[in-house]
Amino acid sequence: MKELVEYIAKSIVSVPDDVKVTEEADGDIVVVKLEVAADDKGRVIGRQGRVAEAMRTLLRVMATKEGTRVRLEIV
Amino acid sequence: MKEVEVSAKTVDEAIQMALEQLGVDEDQVEVVVLRKGKSGVLGVGAEEARIKVRLLPQLQEKDDVAKVAMEILETLVKSMGIVAEIRATQASAGELPVTLNIEGDDLGILIGRRGQTLASLQYIVRLIVAEKLKMWVPINVDVVGYKKRRYESLRSLALRLAEQVKTRRRPITLEPMPADERRIIHLALSDHPDVSTQSMGEGEARKVAILLKKR
Repeated sequence: MKELVEYIAKSIVSVPDDVKVTEEADGDIVVVKLEVAADDKGRVIGRQGRVAEAMRTLLRVMATKEGTRVRLEIV
Repeated sequence: MKEVEVSAKTVDEAIQMALEQLGVDEDQVEVVVLRKGKSGVLGVGAEEARIKVRLLPQLQEKDDVAKVAMEILETLVKSMGIVAEIRATQASAGELPVTLNIEGDDLGILIGRRGQTLASLQYIVRLIVAEKLKMWVPINVDVVGYKKRRYESLRSLALRLAEQVKTRRRPITLEPMPADERRIIHLALSDHPDVSTQSMGEGEARKVAILLKKR
């Protein structure tokens, strides 16, 4: 799941080198943490959270496939 | 944006020269005649024709768009752990919009409830393409022809319901639908003599109503 978020984020931010994605478990939930440069935060969230929402939708599909749950945090 | 200015005896000749210089066909450029030119009498008072030829931005990158978009979608699908093949189809070679069809088995997962997953996938592809090419281009993403079939059935549903509205003389409201599907309903009935359509509700719950036209 990390790879997907990393690819999307790196493709749309202005400072791809500052993109950092980590994956950890919180009980039975996979928590994907996305970190970007301060100025890029708006880009990965998008207008009315549209980009973040789209990423969450895709992550949810992957989680369902693997029989788990996922949460995307933008920090 | 790439453009060239060319002078020649006639406008036609100048266009040909410009196209050769750019190495493109006439339908890929916009031609502005700056001066028509005169042939004069025995070369006296003759004036050269001058034109400006500009490459149309979309067409300039037409091959790139399909290629770039396809690579992005391939990467996305692959990093989602899904095995599929992607085929690009265009209305005619090199024309926009580009439609990318994801083909494979058990891909219902990529469509999602009310096509939500597919919509997200398409949005992300458009976003990355726009970032890469520095322009917003129309790209459609479909999964084994799902949208195509869905649009066709929505069109016939719209016509059927329009008949009901007409005979029962009562409006009908459809299920909530995403924007692209509502558009299909509006378009299907835009020329209908007896009914009109209207969207109502907000966000996820937005839906189309088919109403009797007032006489």
